[in-house]
Amino acid sequence: MTSAITNKQIGYGNGAIIQLVIFSVDNEEYGVDVLKVREIIRMTDITRVPNAPEFVDGVFNLRGKVIPIISLRKRLSLPVVDYTRDTRIIVIDLDNELTGIIVDSVVEVIRITTDDIQPSSEGTPDDGNDAIFSGLVNRNNRLLILLNLEILLNRCKNASD
Amino acid sequence: MSQLCEDKELLEEFLAEATDLLDNVDDDLITLEKDPGDLEILNRVFRAIHSVKGNASFLDFELLVAITHKTEDVLNRLRKEELLLTPEVMDVIMEAVGLVKLLLLDIKHEEMQDRSIDGTIKRLADILNNLNTPTVSLPDNSTPVTEQPPPGTEPDDLIPAADSPLQPKTVYPVATEEKYVGNSGKQSGKPPQAKESTKDEAADTSTVRVDVKRIDDLINQVGELVLERNRMLQLHIEYQNTPDSAIFDEEFTKLTKRINFVTSELQAQVLKMRLIPVGNVFKKFPRIVRNLARDLGKQVNLQIFGEDTELDRSVVDEISDPLTHLIRNALDHGLELPDERIANGKQATGTIVLSARHEGNRIIISIKDDGRGIDTERVAAKALEKGLVTAEQLAEASRQDIFDFIFLPGFSTRDAASDLSGRGVGMDVVRTNTKKLNGIIELKSEKGKGSEFILKLPLTLAIIQSLLVEVNGETYSIPLSAIIETLRVRKDEFHSVGGRKILPQRQSTLTLLNLAKVFGVAGEKSEREYCYVVVVGAAEKRLGLLVTRLLGQQEVAIKSLGAYLSNVPGIAGSTIMGDGRVALIVDPAKLIELGEARSSLNQHHF
Repeated sequence: MTSAITNKQIGYGNGAIIQLVIFSVDNEEYGVDVLKVREIIRMTDITRVPNAPEFVDGVFNLRGKVIPIISLRKRLSLPVVDYTRDTRIIVIDLDNELTGIIVDSVVEVIRITTDDIQPSSEGTPDDGNDAIFSGLVNRNNRLLILLNLEILLNRCKNASD
Repeated sequence: MSQLCEDKELLEEFLAEATDLLDNVDDDLITLEKDPGDLEILNRVFRAIHSVKGNASFLDFELLVAITHKTEDVLNRLRKEELLLTPEVMDVIMEAVGLVKLLLLDIKHEEMQDRSIDGTIKRLADILNNLNTPTVSLPDNSTPVTEQPPPGTEPDDLIPAADSPLQPKTVYPVATEEKYVGNSGKQSGKPPQAKESTKDEAADTSTVRVDVKRIDDLINQVGELVLERNRMLQLHIEYQNTPDSAIFDEEFTKLTKRINFVTSELQAQVLKMRLIPVGNVFKKFPRIVRNLARDLGKQVNLQIFGEDTELDRSVVDEISDPLTHLIRNALDHGLELPDERIANGKQATGTIVLSARHEGNRIIISIKDDGRGIDTERVAAKALEKGLVTAEQLAEASRQDIFDFIFLPGFSTRDAASDLSGRGVGMDVVRTNTKKLNGIIELKSEKGKGSEFILKLPLTLAIIQSLLVEVNGETYSIPLSAIIETLRVRKDEFHSVGGRKILPQRQSTLTLLNLAKVFGVAGEKSEREYCYVVVVGAAEKRLGLLVTRLLGQQEVAIKSLGAYLSNVPGIAGSTIMGDGRVALIVDPAKLIELGEARSSLNQHHF
């Protein structure tokens, strides 16, 4: 039953192997589907956009395309810190729409099976935003939080309307 | 109802060719009406319909075949001079052609609807059945024409159309003095026309026909670019082998110049391919004017100039509606009835001039009529009555301001909304569409003499000329097409009125908007006494944007901001500068709107 729910959230078949990009924000580790990651780049100049939603830091130039950048810290209501040398931008591709998210650092890419995914409980510290977290993975005593990109980024879209 | 042809390519070819043929048919029919004896045109029209019929029958489009077949028959008789071309006959032919276009659209959209073609077929058949004499009678849905031809002009008789259950027929000889559009008798109602051409017909957006010469030019230019690219690669290798800065510098400079030139040419040529002559939109107006004039009982001479003027197809799509409305307006409100005109010492036939021309990097479209002009008193009174302006605002309003009232939503001086205008929504649409195109609309009018509406639109939407400005260290781009002028002013020239900053000008005052405040750009309050004001206009309003410095003019490619940021007020898009940074493009129209809203709420200053 549990895996059925999880599978519905992730959208893969039972036991299927998926790859995740693992990154760190505020000392927590998160994972997103590698298939949706277009590229990972270092921090670059961001042009501020006035009157934009709060978590949208601005836009930047990705080889000729202008892409909006979202600060994951702001999106998850975490304290904002300065950029470091490890700060990265993960460019997400959802239906050919590119968005960049700023993370503290990118850790690795791992392979898991959908069986490894456990549902995120109600105890997760984020009120009303549970759907963003599509599951948890316990790996070598690290807890990885899986993010649902559609919800993460779509909510931003609605908020800006 | 036949099935849709499986072969997509064949279908598209058919549609393209048929649409082309019918476009020419429309023009020809109008010309033909002016000169019914022109056999060459008649033959052309006949061949066109014949072609469409042939192709349609090949593809099994039964309805199309039925209509075109009957129409072809009528045309055949006409060209064999067995039938006389009267306005009624012309009406039915136009109705049939309209129906054919509608059916084609259905096919294109893959919605085979059950169009009722029987009425039209019947009318065509009736024409065909009355062949025995040179005249025809046409059962009309209208009431009989009030005017009768003076007795003894033509040996015409009333021919009863045998099976027609409709009204009494009238005879209408083809009088050679008949004006181009309209006649003095008023006809109420006409045979039901096929729906007025939809936007699709004016400018087909899915494909574009490009002159082969343009493509050849493009290929040549690409060839040039390839050569420069090769030169660049070679230069790179040469430099790697023997790094001589001086030589590299020299060669690179030359290369830069050439690539710059070639790229500009390439860009210009590609943009040219997106251009279509504005005549594509204009060509539907003769018919609209003709029909409308007949409905209203007015006499109109429509003159069109500059149909070859080209503009970007995206712009063409958007201006079709506003132009239609302006033309209707000119006919409905502007031009007077023939009697009134004569009483005022004018010719009975009014003139509407529709023209287009290039001016700089803009296209100027003008609709001018010699009607009664705008009565500012009536407009002012109406605006007051509808609560669109207050008495105080009215007191300060200049003549030009009063003209602008007609663009207010809900305004109309017609008491009873007719089918065509008077609902008070039209002018607003015109303004909205013009703003959407980053254009300006101007209005000139003189009571009793006439009015002129002038649309000034940028040539293309994708790449624009812009003015780069600096606002407290941040760079912004303002589309040049919206800029009326720039001013360098001393800070003490501003005045503060009710919380807004204004600048007194020659004939009016200019409201100012401080971009630093609007865009939240933090910055030191500059100590300089001077600052710059960029005056922008959108539709008929003006606003002064306060900036720190003017950086210069630059052509920029507009890049969308993406889904998240498309609703940010005041920002229209973004562009990438030479140094790779992103600069935001200002949306002057939106700022003007915001400026108005805030000032009316009397919020604290900018």
